[in-house]
Amino acid sequence: MVLDFELTSELVNDVLVIKTEGYINNAGGERIAKEFEKYLNQGITKVLIDIEKSKVVNSIGISFLIEIIEQLNERGGKLYFTNLDPSIEKTFEIMGLFQFAEKVDSVEDIK
Amino acid sequence: MSLDTDFITEKLSFHVKSFQESFEILSKSFSLSEMANQFVKVLRGSFFTTSIGIFHKNDDNSKWVTLIAKDDNTIEKIRNISEQDSLKINSNPELTELYTITKLVDSSYLGILLGKKFDSTKYSDIDKITFQIFIQLFDNAYQALLSHKKEKSLIFDLNNKVAQLYNLIDTGIELSNLHHGDKMMELAISRAISLTNSSFGRIRVIENDVVKEETTFPPNLGNDIHKNHKSLNEKFIDEGIEYEFILCEKESRTGTVEYDETDKLLFSAIVRQVHAAIQNDRFHKEALENEAMKRELAVAAEIQKRILPDKLPVIEGYDLAGINIPSLEVSGDYYNVLELNNGKFALILADVTGKGMPASLLVSTLDASLQAYLDFQIPLSEMAVKLNSIVFRSSTADKFITFFVAVLEPSTGQLDIINAGHNPPLILRKDGSIEKIEAGGVAFGMFDMGLPFEGQKLTLEKGERLFIFTDGIPEAMDKDEEEYTDERLEQFFQDVVPDKASDFISSIVSDVRKHTHGEPQSDDITAIYLIRK
Repeated sequence: MVLDFELTSELVNDVLVIKTEGYINNAGGERIAKEFEKYLNQGITKVLIDIEKSKVVNSIGISFLIEIIEQLNERGGKLYFTNLDPSIEKTFEIMGLFQFAEKVDSVEDIK
Repeated sequence: MSLDTDFITEKLSFHVKSFQESFEILSKSFSLSEMANQFVKVLRGSFFTTSIGIFHKNDDNSKWVTLIAKDDNTIEKIRNISEQDSLKINSNPELTELYTITKLVDSSYLGILLGKKFDSTKYSDIDKITFQIFIQLFDNAYQALLSHKKEKSLIFDLNNKVAQLYNLIDTGIELSNLHHGDKMMELAISRAISLTNSSFGRIRVIENDVVKEETTFPPNLGNDIHKNHKSLNEKFIDEGIEYEFILCEKESRTGTVEYDETDKLLFSAIVRQVHAAIQNDRFHKEALENEAMKRELAVAAEIQKRILPDKLPVIEGYDLAGINIPSLEVSGDYYNVLELNNGKFALILADVTGKGMPASLLVSTLDASLQAYLDFQIPLSEMAVKLNSIVFRSSTADKFITFFVAVLEPSTGQLDIINAGHNPPLILRKDGSIEKIEAGGVAFGMFDMGLPFEGQKLTLEKGERLFIFTDGIPEAMDKDEEEYTDERLEQFFQDVVPDKASDFISSIVSDVRKHTHGEPQSDDITAIYLIRK
């Protein structure tokens, strides 16, 4: 398996910020979901995924993101995206991600 | 203790609200593990025990997976339930534990164990019935979860198909805006991989069995593609160059799967889009080059038109005519008859190798220099050396000019001639014989070693004629590439002797046209015809 994915995470106030780099596919999506689950039990309800360095995403990766959206939704939380490539943004829109998730310019925009 | 119906109904009636609430809680779960977590809370509230284990296995051949368990021993009790006791509510002899395996709606199995109660009391028959009802509630909620999942999966698949279609269209548009070498291959491979859920892939551009270009996704793939990978392959050949595409390892949530027909269609569509983009890029470049060439030719034609004379001077005692018929591709023919400030006339004809702008510019240089030198009345041989030097410095190695000049003293008919590599002009003598002007010298611009140009002096007597021409006449070709030839030209010159110079020019042009029979003119036709009356 070729790995082309890295991520970093940090808490900025009450927001979990996950920065991704590389292909958001099965492996990439799983890494994001695991990172999210690490913080889920700490009561985190706001998550920002910065995908500036991820230019390619497939539907398996998207299915992981949808699950994160659902879990946050259950807890009254929300998933945010920033630095979306136009092509990925369009795909997310068609896949219905923005029905519950939101685009923001930066973590400061999250209230 | 025997239980009558009234007793059971009375006892269970206390739980009705609890059953309803439990179902609502369970049916909100988005996964089996979350449902198990919620189920533990429900069971704990109803049976006053924290010692609860919940296990799941997909089918008869699968292993049990622990969803909830306080310790590792709990699962053993589930594993040890015999087949005949399966699907029943079992208890230990002390009646302090209840355990069962139930078959869920999707034929998977759920194992549940209720441990000791807080107050250490025994489980009653009513507890067993209540437990059975809760398990049924779980199964119903699980069915709702599966239906919800199926519904979500259908919506996801539908959205994904729409997204694939949009991506395919966008990819076609984006590819058509790129040039080969301008990230076209990077875009193609990344989109093909994304659309087909592939893990990785590669595009190779192969020319004469040598890989000229390789683009992979991920970019750091290296040589990590081998025969064992499940792959999709496509290729096309354009202008002798092979473009080879490969996608590998279609992903799913449970591992690598086979590519399906939709993947093949999407991949094939992207490859065709790349082919079309490469072709369009080439056509576009060719169109631009053609456009640039057309503009250049238009400018060159304008230069040539400006340099060539509108009309020739009248020379008393002579009749003079000249012509220049440019071919489709502008070449560098030049002619002129200049009246000099000493009463003489210079008859000039030149032909530059090559076509288009470079040829026109060289003619322009020659024209400007020539006028200046002739007015200074320096000897022709000396002028030729200077012109040669100018042309040599102004042109590239493959450009040179064949040049003929005859300076006419009208009163005597004397011609002072220099010929730098041009076709020998012809004189038709009074006796009907033809004399070729053989004065020699290399064409201007070939060497710049100060070599002298040998001049020649001739006299044109009354009734005699001079014909100066470029090779566009003898080398005019018909459809079989047969030339008009020098012989036919000389014969025509000898046979056709009209009173007016312009009639000769139009006659010989007609004769050339008769020979070429409508074939496109491959070179300029330029000539001067002089009759001494």
